[in-house]
Amino acid sequence: MAAFDLVWVQNLSVFTGYALLGGALWRVAGTERWKAAWHRLRGDRTGMAALALICVFLLVGTLESFSVPQPTGSRTLLQLATAGIPQEKGYSAPLATTTLSVANPTPLAGRHLLGTDALGRDTLVQTLRATRSALWIGGLTSIIYIPLGVLLGILAAFYRGWVDDVVQYFYSTVAAVPEILMLVSILMVLGKGLGTMAIALGITGWVGMARLIRGETLRQVERPYVAAARAMGQSDWKILMRHLLPNVMHLVLIKAVLGFSGLVLAEAVLSYLGVGSPVGTASWGAMIDASRSELSREPFVWWNISTSAGALFLLVLALNLFGDSLRRAFDPKHG
Amino acid sequence: MPFRRHPRRPLFFAAAFRGLLLLSVLGVGGCSNSPHPEPLAEKSENGAPWKARYSALPEDPRSLDPQVTYDNVSRRIMEPVQECLLEYHPFKTDPYELRPCLLTQLPVRTEREGGGISYQCELKSGILFHDDPCFPGGKGRELEAKDVEFAFQRMADPKVECPVVSTLQDYIEGLGETFEAARKSGEFDYSKPLSGLKVTGRYTFEIRLKEAYPQLLYWLAMHFTSPVAREAVEYYDGKTHEGVARELFRFHPVATGPFRIAEWKRNTRIRLQRNPGYRTTAFPTEGWEAAQEGLLRPLAGRALPLVDEVSFTIFRESIPIFLLFRQGYLDGMGVGKDAFSSLITPSKDLSAKYLERGVTLHRDTEPSTYFMSINMEDPVLGPNKKLRQALSAAFNAQGYLDVFFNSVPIVAEQLLPPGIAGYQKDFRNPYAFNLEKAKALMVEAGYPGGRDASGKTLELTLDTNGGSADERLMAEFEQRQFEAIGIKVKVIENPFARLMEKMDQGSFQISAGSGWGADYPDPENFFFLYYSKNLPPTGKNHSRYKNPEFDRLFETMATMENSPEREQIARKLNMILSEDVPHLLTLHRSVFGLTQPWAPRVQSNPMLEGGLKYAVVDEALREKLRGDWNRKPLWPALLLAACVVSAGTFALNVYRRS
Repeated sequence: MAAFDLVWVQNLSVFTGYALLGGALWRVAGTERWKAAWHRLRGDRTGMAALALICVFLLVGTLESFSVPQPTGSRTLLQLATAGIPQEKGYSAPLATTTLSVANPTPLAGRHLLGTDALGRDTLVQTLRATRSALWIGGLTSIIYIPLGVLLGILAAFYRGWVDDVVQYFYSTVAAVPEILMLVSILMVLGKGLGTMAIALGITGWVGMARLIRGETLRQVERPYVAAARAMGQSDWKILMRHLLPNVMHLVLIKAVLGFSGLVLAEAVLSYLGVGSPVGTASWGAMIDASRSELSREPFVWWNISTSAGALFLLVLALNLFGDSLRRAFDPKHG
Repeated sequence: MPFRRHPRRPLFFAAAFRGLLLLSVLGVGGCSNSPHPEPLAEKSENGAPWKARYSALPEDPRSLDPQVTYDNVSRRIMEPVQECLLEYHPFKTDPYELRPCLLTQLPVRTEREGGGISYQCELKSGILFHDDPCFPGGKGRELEAKDVEFAFQRMADPKVECPVVSTLQDYIEGLGETFEAARKSGEFDYSKPLSGLKVTGRYTFEIRLKEAYPQLLYWLAMHFTSPVAREAVEYYDGKTHEGVARELFRFHPVATGPFRIAEWKRNTRIRLQRNPGYRTTAFPTEGWEAAQEGLLRPLAGRALPLVDEVSFTIFRESIPIFLLFRQGYLDGMGVGKDAFSSLITPSKDLSAKYLERGVTLHRDTEPSTYFMSINMEDPVLGPNKKLRQALSAAFNAQGYLDVFFNSVPIVAEQLLPPGIAGYQKDFRNPYAFNLEKAKALMVEAGYPGGRDASGKTLELTLDTNGGSADERLMAEFEQRQFEAIGIKVKVIENPFARLMEKMDQGSFQISAGSGWGADYPDPENFFFLYYSKNLPPTGKNHSRYKNPEFDRLFETMATMENSPEREQIARKLNMILSEDVPHLLTLHRSVFGLTQPWAPRVQSNPMLEGGLKYAVVDEALREKLRGDWNRKPLWPALLLAACVVSAGTFALNVYRRS
């Protein structure tokens, strides 16, 4: 039925995303360099702990992304899993037995480990649901900016000349505009939404990637294997795809992981500014924004900001630690 | 004589040490934590102690031009400075009563030959404008009928941008025609008199109406019809003359009110000072409730205003207001969301701490109604009355009040708020919150469980005023109410100007956060919101509601004098709207306010914007209590001094030893 189409599109796109990621990893996993890096990474305890944490977030985000049609409209897997947690009438402190409302304290329908928010929703559930926004922004933006940055960077370095000039001109111009201003103005034009936010972040985000890949490719192009490939008469496309791309792929991975944490933060910042995720979508930034007034009321409400900021901190920290570990693992000097 | 190396250095240390000690003692003893500057004077002209009131204001007034100002914040400053032809009696609110202010008596209604109604008015003689450089010699001249004529001409001048012309042009003769002519030619000719206002003598004038319009008297109690001195408008043009920059008239009112602006520091404070020449009105001699007798009897007949100075400090955040009120540096405050729980007990009383201090709690209900507008021209909502009824029954207004307003306001059951003629106390909205009923209505509307015949979920858009976190939460709350009956709601957050534009264009389905506060206490001022000849962009019928039966009854009621028959019609209009549901009613605004023991509330008429000329203050009591509440503890000063002494001694010792 027509009403369910959107749900399945979303489910399918999550599946496709994982398939693409898996496929890409599968292709490179066989090479000597990646095998060595994986070996080194397994010995890195911090890196593995960070990876485990990222996987937990991924699992939660995935559960919230898969929807199942129900008689009363579609529900996500996470919603179904937490359906037993009752809805309250307003704020309640962690593990409290009544609502926080001094005017009209009513007994709660259940206990809430981390309290409830202004509308009586469980804070922990809201925080977990917000993982989806963060991961979707990170994922969608990565799909936009990584191919763009890699392609432009590698082409600029390979062809030099006017191609390089044009690419450099574009990324210098984009980098010259203050990022947050550009993001806000793009969102004002395109309107709110996860998709538009990803487009806005993609437009501003590819510069760093393009610079890095251009630099690395410039170095690789001088290497004998490229000269050998040229001497054998291979086409430009083959040299680019078969020789250059695999040799810069590890940088792409490191940069993508580190960049992902920046995107998660950007989502929170934009939602905090009120131009981010739309109404009805849980988001850490929106939760932090709402808690501005919660902190100045008496008695003050601390659990919403602590939980959402804590979750944001954990994910960003894990991504950064894992990114650093990846870099170390791929660094030949440590070999 | 012991040998000393570098004899100067210890001297420097010692001097610095003494200096620090002195500073800490001075610092503790000398400063006060008052946020206010010194009062404008120490004694009033008759030698009595200077009386000052301290209030808070959320932002600068946008305009103090009487023909333009429409917002509450500006009106709070406007009211004590600029008086109107008539005014609301401060105590008589049920029903509201008008009393003459600049006029000698209420206007006399006469029938004109050949149709039309006239009101004969006479100004009090001897009322002087405030002293101002715009008058010859800087002395305020006497108020005359020509100043009222000038005010009416300004309303008709398109460049002034008077917001109520569209309403008044239907009734006042020549207003609309003059406005249109001036708009076409781009120039307004002030030498031509307006046919709707005829000056008949030095103090007398006649207001000419096309048809009966009893509400005119209410308009005479609003600032739009307040007299304006032509000299002031011409003098304050915002340009530089002979090296002296002059303000714009809208920031420099020259009027006849009980106060005048003594200081306006943008974004910081506004200070009003008593107008020594004020004689226009005196304190009423009757009309108050018996409980107020002790406070008000001694004031009866006294000259106004009762205080010498009113100081407004501008606070953009609400927390400092609460803190300063607690320290006794503000005479009153509204109880906001932030401080609610520490001030109000579960049973809606003042908490014991503040009760002991003598603080009084007031509950003020404003004659206002808040609702969400439904677009009657929308192809889904417009023709489907049952669907609108279902939406109304799905909205839990009480829950909305509990979550966002601490349950203080009243759930709106009808369009008219309490206190307006025609309000029915025991009327219950037939489509008030009832989830089962809402679900049943959805079946009747053709959307069982929120799905249409083809099984598609009904999707509606809700336009809100976006931006703040609170607005977002409200939107989420509204969204969830409708999702409970299976409707999918898409929320569009708009900047305020964009929302207004959408409402004017009619490009919305449901618009959240509309509301109407009474311009004057008359049912016509609410029902005209649904009159079919009052469509946007000039009118306010944002729902685009068209109902011939409603129009017919409204037209009859609008021009009637208050009477039981009129109330009967108001009830019928109410029934029609309740059944047709062109809006989802939410609340009648009601707020808690606090006053300090030295500044008891004299009046609480919601049609007045503060009524500052009746305000009283007991300076001596304030001085005493403020001292009691702000006892400076001695131990931090002693601790600081001890720290300085021990650190200094230690430093000296270390130096000596080395």
